[in-house]
Amino acid sequence: MPETPADFRYPLRWRLMDGIEALADRIWPRRLAPWTGWLLITPALLLVGLLVLGLIQIADSSLRTLDTATFLPSEDWSLANFEKALASRVYLTVAWRSLLGAALTTFLTLALAFPYAYALVRTRRPWVRKALLITLFLPFFIGQVVRAYGWLIILGNSGMVNEALSLVGVAPMRLLFNYPAVIFGMVQYMLPFAVLLMVPALAAIPAETETAAGSLGANWLRTTWHVVLPMAKPGLIGAGLVVATLSLTDFAVPAMLGGGSQDFIANAIYDQFFRTADQGLGSALALMLVAAGSVLVGLVFLVFGAGTLSMGGRR
Amino acid sequence: MAAVRSEQPAVVVQGVDMDFGTGAMAVKGASFALEPGRFLTILGPSGSGKTTLLRMIAGFQAPTRGEILIGGRPADAVAPHRRSIGMVFQKLALFPHMTVNANVAFPLKMRRHDPRTIPARVARYLDLVRLGGYGNRRIHELSGGQQQRVAIARALVFEPDLLLLDEPLAALDRKLREEMQLEFRRIQKELGVTTINVTHDQREALVVSDEIIVMDHGEIQQHTSPVDMYRSPANPFVASFIGVSSFLEGLSSPRGLMVNGVDCAGVAAGAILPGMPARGAIRAEQTRIGAAAEACDTVLEGRITDTIFEGERLMYFVDLPALGTGVRIYHHDPAEHAPFEKGATVSTGWNARDLLIFPAKDR
Repeated sequence: MPETPADFRYPLRWRLMDGIEALADRIWPRRLAPWTGWLLITPALLLVGLLVLGLIQIADSSLRTLDTATFLPSEDWSLANFEKALASRVYLTVAWRSLLGAALTTFLTLALAFPYAYALVRTRRPWVRKALLITLFLPFFIGQVVRAYGWLIILGNSGMVNEALSLVGVAPMRLLFNYPAVIFGMVQYMLPFAVLLMVPALAAIPAETETAAGSLGANWLRTTWHVVLPMAKPGLIGAGLVVATLSLTDFAVPAMLGGGSQDFIANAIYDQFFRTADQGLGSALALMLVAAGSVLVGLVFLVFGAGTLSMGGRR
Repeated sequence: MAAVRSEQPAVVVQGVDMDFGTGAMAVKGASFALEPGRFLTILGPSGSGKTTLLRMIAGFQAPTRGEILIGGRPADAVAPHRRSIGMVFQKLALFPHMTVNANVAFPLKMRRHDPRTIPARVARYLDLVRLGGYGNRRIHELSGGQQQRVAIARALVFEPDLLLLDEPLAALDRKLREEMQLEFRRIQKELGVTTINVTHDQREALVVSDEIIVMDHGEIQQHTSPVDMYRSPANPFVASFIGVSSFLEGLSSPRGLMVNGVDCAGVAAGAILPGMPARGAIRAEQTRIGAAAEACDTVLEGRITDTIFEGERLMYFVDLPALGTGVRIYHHDPAEHAPFEKGATVSTGWNARDLLIFPAKDR
């Protein structure tokens, strides 16, 4: 066997990996290798499985009405909760408000996130990119509740905005606890998610393609419309899907910036579970929300194909 | 003025510098003029400034100093999308979400051509690049060569005054590259469009061009026809970049070049006085070996140190002890002769007109 020179050393990372591999060989012998993939996704499958169990539980309680005399769920199943929810004007309003809110938030967020992500990808100056990234991530560190509270301070009746308006002689306005305030708060909350989901899709478009469109006679507007937007479609759909589902099911922003007058479905569900303690009605509402979200995602996949989210190669 | 217009060069580059502020200038004092309908290739190694020069002609970058005129007007006088310049990009930059037809129709649509004329025009240009019937294919369904053809059709369909080619053939395999070189030449001759091509492939430059500019370190080394570029290189750099040359260092002599006390026959290729330090360049295909060497102006004894078989020819590495250096020699049609063995002693020679002698200060 050739002698190893005294000064020959493997990188630390290699030796560390050797140790881990030796250990792994003890725990999970090599002949089990064909099942390694399954082993790795088992925890995730378990988590999803637990969620399904929970959903079955919810489905069960959605079929039991609350006995107002004993405050216990009924023994037998009925669709009374669903009938009640669908017949109620209040819940119809809440559902419509949530759906419209999700649609508005998605549209506004994508419209604002696209130029932001584009600038982030295309800027030639590293400091501009850094500044854009820091501005994007800063709200992440603060958390949703504190952020919403921040808007209360800024937009309140004696908040910064109204103070500034009074300086130029405008009477204080009610900027909070209305629908626009909720949408505003949601867009602000969703923007970082949308930008981060769009960046990879935009970065995948070669800058040369845009230069080519220009040399072929397209101004920037037409280049964006005919070339950048279609090529960024996977990112736009992915971001739209995430924003739509997150805003459809959002709780904190409508609760805090809506001030109880602008409830979304999640707030209504919360009220049923934790205020009126009508588990059955709450479960029915929750199931309908899950159904609405699933239909939305299913429709997107049906129209654009799962491949549009850059999953499973081309097409 | 209108009468003069047709006479003026299609492209004028006048004293152009490009300084990115990162050390050496990318382009230094570039000046040339190109007549309408000509096919010019800018040839140089990577980092020679050839792509920067092309990007300035395309108007993507403004020169630090100097002036570029396209059809008599400054290149950056109009916005990029209003210029009449077709460009084929290095990575083609086709639109993957559109069909071939849509890709080729795109510039016509953007330039607001009459929609009724567009389909016929697109079909005509697809025929020109021999892609008739491929109009409804998607880009990813085409082979590399077919994608090249779409890019050419797209750059030409709006009948630009100038066609720019930014190394579009660099990524192709050799056979396809040579096929596309001939296609570029055919299409350019058919349309008569003024064309500027950028490449590092000397064979491509010789094959496709009416004229060649060789660049190195940001400076234009020589601007002439392919034949002149090959026969009369302006300096040793051009001699080494076009074809395969061997170099001999010595002092200029009345007969040619004094190397290691041996007076070699050669001709001066620049302003040079006897006794000056000089560098001689001799092409591998003009250096003779064996019986063919005996009748040459300079005949020396050589020893073969290595042989490389290249198919249609052999390359010999021959050491010349008398000169203290070696030369490379191409020997064609090797099937006819038994190749010389490694280590064999052979006659090596060349004629005076084939050893070009440059002042040694030239790179």
